[in-house]
Amino acid sequence: MDEAELPGAPAAEATAAGPLLQGTLDLMVLKTLEAMGPQHGYGIARRIEQTSGDALRLNQGTIYPALLRLRQRGWIRAEWGTSDNGRRARFYSLTRAGEAQIAEETGNWERVAATMARFLVKSE
Amino acid sequence: MRSLWGTVREWASRVAAAFGWRDREMDEELAAHLAIAEEEHLRRGMSPEEARQAALREFGGVTQVRETMRLGEGLPFLENLRRDFGYALRQMRKSPGFTATVIGTLALGIGAAAAMFTVVDHVLLQPAPYRDAGRLVAISEVNPSQPGGAQWPLPWLDIEQWREQSRSFEQIAYSGGGLDGRNFLVHHGTAMEVSAEGVSSNLFSMLGVDPTLGRGFLTNTGSAGASRNNGTIVLSYDVWKQALGGDRNILGKPVQINNKVWTVIGVMPAGFRYPADTYGTPQVWTAIELGKQDQSRSNDANGYTVLGRLRPGVTLEAARAEMAALQKRMGQEWPADLRQAHSHVQLERYTGTLVDKDVRKALLALLAAAGVLWLIASLNVTNLLLARGTARAREMAMRRALGASRWRIVRQMMVEGLALSMAAGALGIGLAAASVKLLAHEISQSVPLPVPARPDSWILLALVGLTVTSALLSTAWPALVTARAPLEPALKQGGLQSGQSRRHHRMRGVLVALEVAMSLTLLMGCGLLLRTIYALEHVPLGFRTDHIVVAHLDIPGYRYAHRDLTTELYGPILERVQHLHGVQSAGLMTTVPLEHGFNMWLEMDVKGRTVKSMMKAATPGVKNVFGFPMAAGRFFDADDTPASQPVVVVNEAFAREYSPDKHDPASILGTKLIGTQRNKKNPAYTQVIGILQDVHQGSIASPSYPEVEVCLTQTTPNSTFYTVLDEIAMDLAVRTREPEGVVVPEIRDVLRQASPELAGTKITTMDQVVEDSYGSQRLAAHLLEIFGGSALLLCIAGLYGLLAYVVNQRTRELGVRIALGAPRANVLWLVMRQAGAMLLAGVAVGCGMALASGHLAQGFLYGVKAHDGWTLAAAAVLLFVSGMLAAYLPARRAAGVDPMEALRSE
Repeated sequence: MDEAELPGAPAAEATAAGPLLQGTLDLMVLKTLEAMGPQHGYGIARRIEQTSGDALRLNQGTIYPALLRLRQRGWIRAEWGTSDNGRRARFYSLTRAGEAQIAEETGNWERVAATMARFLVKSE
Repeated sequence: MRSLWGTVREWASRVAAAFGWRDREMDEELAAHLAIAEEEHLRRGMSPEEARQAALREFGGVTQVRETMRLGEGLPFLENLRRDFGYALRQMRKSPGFTATVIGTLALGIGAAAAMFTVVDHVLLQPAPYRDAGRLVAISEVNPSQPGGAQWPLPWLDIEQWREQSRSFEQIAYSGGGLDGRNFLVHHGTAMEVSAEGVSSNLFSMLGVDPTLGRGFLTNTGSAGASRNNGTIVLSYDVWKQALGGDRNILGKPVQINNKVWTVIGVMPAGFRYPADTYGTPQVWTAIELGKQDQSRSNDANGYTVLGRLRPGVTLEAARAEMAALQKRMGQEWPADLRQAHSHVQLERYTGTLVDKDVRKALLALLAAAGVLWLIASLNVTNLLLARGTARAREMAMRRALGASRWRIVRQMMVEGLALSMAAGALGIGLAAASVKLLAHEISQSVPLPVPARPDSWILLALVGLTVTSALLSTAWPALVTARAPLEPALKQGGLQSGQSRRHHRMRGVLVALEVAMSLTLLMGCGLLLRTIYALEHVPLGFRTDHIVVAHLDIPGYRYAHRDLTTELYGPILERVQHLHGVQSAGLMTTVPLEHGFNMWLEMDVKGRTVKSMMKAATPGVKNVFGFPMAAGRFFDADDTPASQPVVVVNEAFAREYSPDKHDPASILGTKLIGTQRNKKNPAYTQVIGILQDVHQGSIASPSYPEVEVCLTQTTPNSTFYTVLDEIAMDLAVRTREPEGVVVPEIRDVLRQASPELAGTKITTMDQVVEDSYGSQRLAAHLLEIFGGSALLLCIAGLYGLLAYVVNQRTRELGVRIALGAPRANVLWLVMRQAGAMLLAGVAVGCGMALASGHLAQGFLYGVKAHDGWTLAAAAVLLFVSGMLAAYLPARRAAGVDPMEALRSE
């Protein structure tokens, strides 16, 4: 149809260390869920910021389109639950397909990183 | 792998989201996020205000995220469609005048087409409310040397053999007999007339319709006589609802019909009727009980109507071949003198027997006419939208400049068109139902099947089709034109589209000419029908119709069993009516001329010759009521009593056909015809005492048939014809000085006092009977008046709209011309010439179309040819003159342009 007219999904643009590569946020979310188990949106966003050593300052809102995308692909599922401080919140957890996806994406990333590393070495 | 269920769930969720049903969940999630973040910040020692600010800052744009989510979560396509509809609705509200014009125009077209389709659907597409009705076949016996008409009787013995030996049919069922005379269902002191049909026990299952309550008849296992259906009855839904108040506990209870009590075993579903062409009177069904008269092949045997259901896959041709072979053998079992008459079988599709060819053709012609009106309406809307497209050129150009794709613009305009035509469709179905209701009387006079106004699934489907096609037809072109228009000139302030708009005008001119052409065909049809009606109204009827009130009596024959209707019911009624104030004369007659209803045909042997004629009973008074002129002899008078010589009068057609001296019709006077008594020794032959001048009996357009009238006052229960002449149909005709409104209640009073069943008697006027006799022409004329009139209006509006627009666009040019000295008359002429060209082109094409399609109306016409030049010329002149009048207004405005104003305004 006319995807061209949709406002581009706000990529995880705002970072301290420059633009985030497309697809990286998805993998970060998946890894976070793998490490922490079921978690709500705020928890995931904070965890990503902390893990990156605050090198990455997300616009936390951008996590939600990413969560929606992952859910639509069947990699995560969402359930309503209660947060630590007793508030109703939506909790996300990995699905079987999501676990498989982590393995695949990790492989991809390692290949890309290795390739990039070789370029960076040469240019020095 | 995603499971199928997962996919379904996701799509369901997306559709839900597209309509905003997921918004609340999303909002709650985002609010929870902000609240948790805020608490976190509070715990780290921020002030409440700071905490809130920080949470919002870290989150980024809430609105932006929401929008992204909504688009991502739902279906972008649906979401956009929803927006387009919203936008379309706003546009419609912004220009109510334009919106009303478009919706009104389209609703007219859609309504006309849907109304005609309703009739066609009930009469041609699904004439018989049975399962898989296409496989039902009517079976009859025919005599190849006497073409036309089935042989009577078709006895049970033949049916039984077909059932046993034929392989083509799943089931063969039959009907006939039923209860004699008129039947009244008597319940709690009220009487309702019902029609009772005898049916074989398998008829309902053969038709594939189960009772909605209870069961149908049981199959008789043993030999005849040991019937399991004795005294049981199945009711139609209407009888059950109207006479018994829809009592769900009716099963097993007794109902009284005439003097007999029956046990109700079932109620058929709403809308079920059998035979399919039953009109009006609610029905009940009883099981046929076989008797002695079913055990022979002779003229005394009971005869039945036979229907079979073909096995799946068996063609009609195959069944015909099989049955022909069967009948060759079976025919031998008839006695020698009847063998030839029953030697062949005729198989016809049941649905095909219900509607004759002329009606079919006529309905299709009217449907085509409605279709043409719909097309005109759609073209007119195309024209309106083209004009509007030009007016909105700047808006559209702006949107494209801001990044909207062409497809987006096209879609936007198509959605607007769809919204308009959906509104029109909703209005149109209402119009259709209303017009079917309004024309119900005329429809009932011209088609053989009932046409309910309630739309069914076929009609709704047709409506959706019409709506969508209207939208496509009227918006596709304007949308493409707008989307393809170059941006720059439209955006430039005051830049008028020169080359583009010239071509544009020409296209619109072609549309108007097309409308004119199609309108001319409709007007031509309308003109032909009006001339037909005129011709019919001016055919001399041979009798008077003014100041006559006619009552079709609902004769309660059962009350008069073993008594004499003539002296105990009819005599007193006539006596009392004659003494009502203002009544000049009154008479009784089996059926008044031109009435569609009961006709009795008589076949008798007169000196070795078969005489076939219509037979009626009449009292002396009818001659004065109708003023029937005599060709010779006298009519009945007060001296004709049961004690005197039985007499009859015949009409000229009868005399011409059957008088002893071929060259002198009057020689029939004094001859003896038909015995009136069952007594073989003393049959009491009637004597012909008079010859009536011919009148049209069936319809004005058909010639007179031979007719014999017997004197009603001479018939007694002993007469051969008492049952048919006294008990089945009787019309009371009254000539009165008083207006109809005064005399009808008085007559009704007399009837009610005579017998309660007569209270419901239909009372009308003779003028109405005559009017109804050309029902189909009248219906066609009414419809074509509406279609033609609407078409004329639409195309005048189209023409006016186009010229007004053109003049508006050319104001500046016209101003310059006038400033340079062009006489105003020339400017006027300029515009009129343009209108004339469109009209002439349309009329020329229209004449061709009208002549080519004229034969479609043929079936309706009387006294005028389908390609009548005068009618065509009149229609063309009407169209041309009204078109020129419509053009005069914009032309005068063009001539009145003030050059200073015109030049300054740009």
